[in-house]
Amino acid sequence: MSRPSKERLEARGVAVAFGGIRALSGVDLELRRGEVLGLIGPNGAGKTTMVNVLSGFQRPTSGSISLDGTDVSKLTARKIAQAGVGRSFQAARLFRAMTVEQNLSVAAIGSGLSRRVARERALEILDWMGLVKKADHRCDSLSYGDERRVSIARALALQPSFALLDEPASGMNDAECEALMEVIAELPARFGCGVLLIEHNMKVIMGVCQRIHVLDGGQSLAEGSPQDIQKNPAVRRAYLGEKATDSTLAI
Amino acid sequence: MKSDTMSFATIGRFWFPVLALVIPLAIIVVVTGQFGGLSIQRTVVEMLISIVIVVGLYVFVGNSGIISFGHATFMAIAAYASAWQTCCEMLKPITMSGLPPFLRDQSIPLLPSAVVSVLLAGGAAFLTGLVIMRLTGLAASISTLAVLFILNVVYSNWDSVTMGSASIVGLPTYVTAWLALGCAVFAIVIAYLYQTSAFGLAIRATREDEVAAAASGISLYWSRLIAFTLSGFMVGLGGVLQAHYLGTVSINSFFLSFTFLALAMLIVGGMGSLAGAVVGVVVITAMVDIFRRLEGGISIGAEQWSLPAGTQELIIAAFMLLILVFRKDGIMAGREMTLPEQEQREKGLING
Repeated sequence: MSRPSKERLEARGVAVAFGGIRALSGVDLELRRGEVLGLIGPNGAGKTTMVNVLSGFQRPTSGSISLDGTDVSKLTARKIAQAGVGRSFQAARLFRAMTVEQNLSVAAIGSGLSRRVARERALEILDWMGLVKKADHRCDSLSYGDERRVSIARALALQPSFALLDEPASGMNDAECEALMEVIAELPARFGCGVLLIEHNMKVIMGVCQRIHVLDGGQSLAEGSPQDIQKNPAVRRAYLGEKATDSTLAI
Repeated sequence: MKSDTMSFATIGRFWFPVLALVIPLAIIVVVTGQFGGLSIQRTVVEMLISIVIVVGLYVFVGNSGIISFGHATFMAIAAYASAWQTCCEMLKPITMSGLPPFLRDQSIPLLPSAVVSVLLAGGAAFLTGLVIMRLTGLAASISTLAVLFILNVVYSNWDSVTMGSASIVGLPTYVTAWLALGCAVFAIVIAYLYQTSAFGLAIRATREDEVAAAASGISLYWSRLIAFTLSGFMVGLGGVLQAHYLGTVSINSFFLSFTFLALAMLIVGGMGSLAGAVVGVVVITAMVDIFRRLEGGISIGAEQWSLPAGTQELIIAAFMLLILVFRKDGIMAGREMTLPEQEQREKGLING
């Protein structure tokens, strides 16, 4: 690792308003190195806005973001990425006219590696994710599932202390989800990073997260272990509606 | 995974896209040098100089995705700088009396003067880029046009130094087909090394997706500034070559019609790849030459037959329209010359 790893990515009292609409109000969130933290909530709860704030793409209206206690709220997205916060996007946003290896190498170069070392790192990650055979494929020739996996791999190529994954499993079939769960669960140990996982697929969330943070209408609703969250009546009401039954959240 | 020592095949695969461009160009030079007439040879040299210029333009436009209308500026800066240093020692004190004494009263040897001129063009591109590379998209393109207009107005009116809009004549003409070929090969190699380097990958990523590039730690501003500066050096070299091939320099030859012709070459070939830049120059030069000859008149049997004047421009415009309608990414469609196997690999038809 070329730069010292960070231990904590914290949001304190983060509020974001788009005109009159409050996307987030007063959210506290702490992501620690070595854990997988799930971020869930109904559509429009502010999950993606939270990721945008943490990765510097959205300036918070009030509140602060800090990395190991250093305020990074004023930094640009690029500076935050270089400080060790990697992210993927809901739409894969790959560099489509470039090869898979080049997509990863760009992020590795962004983290300060030379071209040669960047390529080595890219191939290492692709090898681990079982994508190395597709290293020379142009991204506009990839299948949907591969696109999603490459976008995660690219976030990892940045050598992040924290990887923020925005709905990595959306649109994947069951087998692909299973494989993805294995990958995500292994990230903290393998890359020494903390993972923030936004996902609608409860099986994935319950399967890989140590802690879960629930947002609803831009506010924190609950935080706790998967078991606590499954039992939490407020979460059931907000997330699943009044008619939620015991079986809906149980896996 | 590859071993540390690069095998011959790996090196061959890396350089194939360059060789596939350079070797045909060399063959053209050899064949026309042996069998071609004088006018064909002239066309070939002009084509090679255009390759230097358009490949230089491509280094910025192709890699960043931002159309630049301003690159003729840096050509003009280099061409004039070279003229001031090497032209007509006897006449300079009269025709360009405003030059500083070290330029006015002596000539500077050809090679150092060429190097200085190219450096000046690159320096001007860097300074311009410091300001306008902060802009994105259309704003950046339009601002390059503004740069072109500023230079044109200044040089057209700075009579005591540039002779205004009159031509400076009598530059030493040292550009041969082989020198032009050497410079074209040099430009192609530099452009290729750049686009495969870390800097090249970074700027191509910003072309594909600015947001994802920022999330990958890439600076839009710096990666574009580097490309713009390098591109300025390269078109500067083209400007020097053109000046010392024609022997004259005139500010109006570095203005809109030239800018559009250079962009047409890039767009027809496909601005997404180095091969596109080179192929575009070759195709457009060939078309211009053919129709210029037809306009000039040919004799079929006893009949003298010619196309009306202006046909050539119309045909080029129509051809560009056809390309934009039916093959909007240009002839090469953003791809380099590759071995068939490599192309299949990129399309995902071969694994590993």
